[in-house]
Amino acid sequence: MAGIYDLVPAIAALPLASFVIALFAGKDLPKKGALPGILATAGSLALSLAVAVTVFTTGEGFNQNLYTFVAGQDTFSLHLGVLIDPLSALMLVIVSLIATLVHVFSLGYMNDEGETGLPRYYAGLGLFTFSMLSFVFANNILMAFMFFELVGLCSYLLIGFWFREAGPPSAAKKAFLVTRFGDYFFLVGVVAIFATFGTGAFAGSESFPHLAELALEGEYDVNTFFGLGEQAWFTVLGLLVLGGVMGKSAQFPFHTWLPDAMEGPTPVSALIHAATMVAAGVFLVARMYGFYALSPTALAIIALVGGFTALFAATMGVVKQELKQVLAYSTISQYGYMMLALGSGGYVAAVFHLTTHAVFKALLFLGAGSVIIAMHHNENMWDMGGLKDKMPVTYWTFLSGSLALAGIVPFAGFWSKDEVLYEALIHGLGTEGGLGIVLLAAYAMGLLAVFFTGFYTFRMVYLTFHGEPRSDIARDPEPVRWNVKGPLAVLGVLAATVGFINMVPVKKVTGLEIDYLHQFLDMAPEAYLTNVHHYTELLETDAFAGIHAATPLGEVGTVAASAAVSLGLALAGVLAARQLYNAPQPVEHTDRLGRVKTILMHNYYQDEYQVWLARDVTVPFAGVLDTFDQGIVDGVVNGASSVSRTAGRQVRKLQTGVVTNYAALLTLGLVLLLAAFAVVGGWV
Amino acid sequence: MIATEWYLMLSAGLFCIGLLGILMRRNALIFLMSVELMLNAANINLVAFSLQHGNLSGQVFALFGMALAAAEVAVGLGIILVLYRNFGDIDVTSPTTMRW
Repeated sequence: MAGIYDLVPAIAALPLASFVIALFAGKDLPKKGALPGILATAGSLALSLAVAVTVFTTGEGFNQNLYTFVAGQDTFSLHLGVLIDPLSALMLVIVSLIATLVHVFSLGYMNDEGETGLPRYYAGLGLFTFSMLSFVFANNILMAFMFFELVGLCSYLLIGFWFREAGPPSAAKKAFLVTRFGDYFFLVGVVAIFATFGTGAFAGSESFPHLAELALEGEYDVNTFFGLGEQAWFTVLGLLVLGGVMGKSAQFPFHTWLPDAMEGPTPVSALIHAATMVAAGVFLVARMYGFYALSPTALAIIALVGGFTALFAATMGVVKQELKQVLAYSTISQYGYMMLALGSGGYVAAVFHLTTHAVFKALLFLGAGSVIIAMHHNENMWDMGGLKDKMPVTYWTFLSGSLALAGIVPFAGFWSKDEVLYEALIHGLGTEGGLGIVLLAAYAMGLLAVFFTGFYTFRMVYLTFHGEPRSDIARDPEPVRWNVKGPLAVLGVLAATVGFINMVPVKKVTGLEIDYLHQFLDMAPEAYLTNVHHYTELLETDAFAGIHAATPLGEVGTVAASAAVSLGLALAGVLAARQLYNAPQPVEHTDRLGRVKTILMHNYYQDEYQVWLARDVTVPFAGVLDTFDQGIVDGVVNGASSVSRTAGRQVRKLQTGVVTNYAALLTLGLVLLLAAFAVVGGWV
Repeated sequence: MIATEWYLMLSAGLFCIGLLGILMRRNALIFLMSVELMLNAANINLVAFSLQHGNLSGQVFALFGMALAAAEVAVGLGIILVLYRNFGDIDVTSPTTMRW
């Protein structure tokens, strides 16, 4: 079955072709480039599914360099290549599925709304899909970095799609700059990884995670820098790459760009800023998990950042008035959960939550898009209300996504979020020393965030769909067509069911082998060293991460207790929201929070703080450097030139223009020369 | 037979007269003549050594030297003519407009 793997590059090439078609011929096409985009992404989806099925049935992977763009002499070479293992196959399916549905949805959101500049829009979507898919199957970290940057560029282009208004271009710049700040560390990390290991490959016995493992066991020599030991240096490398991850996955303190990115068209938010691009950071950590599993410090930081971000963003989501803002903070919070899972050794849990989140958050964004069409682009939830009866398809699918987000059994989010928290709990309890305490602290923050998640999700649902309409538009919303309802229906069903691929609690209680995702991810070929049991081995080795699991109530008891606690908190959040906001004319109960609300509405003054950092710290510092540059560096250069200028001005007076002087000098020179010869030659 | 040293002394004397003419006079025509003197001092040297070695090459060279001197005078006179037209006299210290 090697045949299907030869077609893997086509998965990315199809959207690239749609990008070219939309860009150059889009304005002459009937739907301005939407149709090539839909066909291309559907083709990618079909191929991705075929690849995933092949991986699932044969258990084989594919890891090959396809193109060498720099061939090193006596040193490493730089490649573009393909790595297909269960992780990348799964991610390819997610990305191409969401991309296809978003393209269809765009027909309703963009074409039917009479937007201009559509070829540019579809070209952006095509280029993004191409870049994201290439990022997913990249087999080395340099290629991953290149496409990581390209998706950032597409994000910039699409956030700023409505560039004639004031907000979007500014938000686009902010998104670009904040993520670029993180990517700066990532770039340094990529270079350092090449300098350390001489390779950037992700999988196989020559890959850098495996070389790092050998180096720690003393079987392989690597170059470390700054006199650091191997473990410390690998932690530094991991943290450098983590900079890019935190920028892209909007983790604290680089999360500030994501809420502003909601200025872009809603399908773009669904595709890029919820389901796929933001997942790139988490995916990257999962991709090189064999490397992070070697460093307890890096894992602790990942877990802590993740747990903190989950709670921090969820609290801000509680007070937002605009539909997409709530979803944006929810996205940040949910990616925090994934980081928490990765940091606490729950590789499968993180990938599982990534999968379910991609489905239900894309659904919620598309549902929000449907509401926004109906509301004539008014996003304020206080102007909505009562949409439940006017748009039933949107309501029921949105409800499915909301239940999944809140983590209510049996919707997708329950299974994945529960597994994240379960992994954090058992590893926190079982691990000794500081790492265990950090994991428990991160777990506590994640657990608390469950309540807020349930609350803000259902506050959003009740305000938008229940009660009495609170504006004229809400009384008579614009109807949406099949191209909006279709994607919603597909995702709505998936959001309810996708959790069944990995029902760990049910497995633990009944003993049935139904943790399919776990089995699937464990099917990666032994030689790639990317399968789950290899990661577990690394995590449990005390010389590496030293993370152990402990189940004080027994396995069944612990999993049941963990599930009960998180479900209970989620239900408490939902019921609190129902109590407060399920009224015909709800009032803004968060006003009672007083100053706390002011702080939350201002996002903990994170934007102000970052502006202060830029304006009052960076600018004066840059001023000092500018003075140094202008004064000292340029001064030396100018000094050198003025010395030769002055000297030249004096010496040129020798040129009198009088022939006699020249002749006299010539004669004088001759006489001196003769005298010199006479003395040296011994004539006198 | 006069010894070669005498010719050389004559030649050195002529050369010094020519050199002094260039160093001390300002008239361009005198310059030209002084240059002729120095050239001919060289020619005398050539002929004298030709005589001493019994080899005709030096004499042939002296002929070339004279032809060169004639050509040089033609160019020199042209320069002097232009000098006169532009500055009104042929003082070599007056054309200093092209210096710094």
